[in-house]
Amino acid sequence: MTVAVDDVTVRYGRRVVLDGLDLALDTGVHGLLGPNGAGKTTLMRVLATVSVPDSGGVRLLGSAITDEKALRAVRRQLGYLPQTFGFYPRFTVREFVEYLAWLKEMPAAGIPVAVDRALQRVGLLDRADDRMRTLSGGMQRRAGIAQAIVNDPRLLLLDEPTAGLDPEQRVEFRALLRELGVDACVLVSTHLVEDVAAACERVSLVDGGRLVFTGTSAQLAAAGGDGDAGDSAIERGYTAVLRAARA
Amino acid sequence: MTEFHVADADLWAWAENRLSEPAAWSVEAHLDGCAICRSRVPATPGLPPAPLHLPAQGRVRPATRARRIRVLVEAGPQARIAWFSAVAVTVLLTVTLGDRVPHWLLLLVGPALPVLGTAVSYGPRSDPMAELVASTAYGGLRIVLWRTLSVLAVSLPVAAAGGFVSGLGSPAMWLLPCCALTALTLALASFTGPTVSAWVVGGGWFALVTAAHGLPVDATPLLVAPSATPPWLAVTAVGSLIITYRREARR
Repeated sequence: MTVAVDDVTVRYGRRVVLDGLDLALDTGVHGLLGPNGAGKTTLMRVLATVSVPDSGGVRLLGSAITDEKALRAVRRQLGYLPQTFGFYPRFTVREFVEYLAWLKEMPAAGIPVAVDRALQRVGLLDRADDRMRTLSGGMQRRAGIAQAIVNDPRLLLLDEPTAGLDPEQRVEFRALLRELGVDACVLVSTHLVEDVAAACERVSLVDGGRLVFTGTSAQLAAAGGDGDAGDSAIERGYTAVLRAARA
Repeated sequence: MTEFHVADADLWAWAENRLSEPAAWSVEAHLDGCAICRSRVPATPGLPPAPLHLPAQGRVRPATRARRIRVLVEAGPQARIAWFSAVAVTVLLTVTLGDRVPHWLLLLVGPALPVLGTAVSYGPRSDPMAELVASTAYGGLRIVLWRTLSVLAVSLPVAAAGGFVSGLGSPAMWLLPCCALTALTLALASFTGPTVSAWVVGGGWFALVTAAHGLPVDATPLLVAPSATPPWLAVTAVGSLIITYRREARR
């Protein structure tokens, strides 16, 4: 298992954000669905090793991350696109990706080529020498995806990656996702059900800090009936599973 | 050299043995005579070929250690603002006011400079890339130490100059509280975050200076007297120990 989350609890003050959550993921593209406030971003931050759970176990890439050496080894193979991220105003797109490649401890000699390749894969190579702040929101998002994939991560965590992308870019992005999912474990957090249907083999649904469904997109679609709200089969499945979990 | 080059998809397919024989022959015939396309053949199976039209690379970016350090340091615009304002304030106090500025005011500002710089150069509120950096192998203590080092490199000389101008103790003695306060800030930051920790340590220093000296004094203040060396070294050591012990603390 690339990701094994066992009974993880995270509290912010009195509020329980993740409530004894279990999750197991392997190679492939996985969707993480759930309403706003369900705990998706908190789970992403725990998997990105940014946040430490209050209790429970997290194994990433086969490592229990017991010491700093193990933590660094995992982080070198990690790609993470946070829901929101900033950048230094003077950075060009290339410097932004290059800087993170350095921080990920990629071998220095390979960085220039890896950076250009990552930018090419998100369609930003022609803007590589423009300053980050001159880009549109969607382009900044793509630069964020480029930094996440620059080190060919074995575990790729993308929190709302399609926010701000236009429909054509979203189609291209789904193709990129499928390509990345061949070798890596890709977890895509989103509230857009149709993104999951189009690009993810497996879906996990989180509500109230708990895992309420895990299975293939087809299984999620099959969970819905004609009486459930939604415009597509998978949306009806989504509302049906949520309703059953809350009942 | 011909103007024609093999398309990315064809080159990829050829590298993976997916082309029909006649198509593969024509690709090979072209590769024989075209160095550009030969260089695009992916070295690792499964990877796509290098794109044909890479834009001109603006400038050569040698992947050296020196450039890495430069970017790491340069990456903190907040740090630069802190450095400039700290240096400007101290220079202004010493140069324009000359003897009219109370020397204890210099003592108040000088050793607190690295604390200020450390606080503003990283942390979730002041570093827009904190979330991204936190998930990288370099994140956590190591990047904090690099930035602290860069802050110290700027503020230590300024503090020493403050010591020289003020005439309170020897300038070298001013470096001790600098280092001790910085270590304390970092140690406390692993519990509270850098902003709170800088306020606490800065406030503590303020209280200490006022309490130790009341208002203007002409004698060598106790805080930068040679007899203060062991306590400052002790504070630095304790701070460093806490930093080492708490290096895996993540919030």
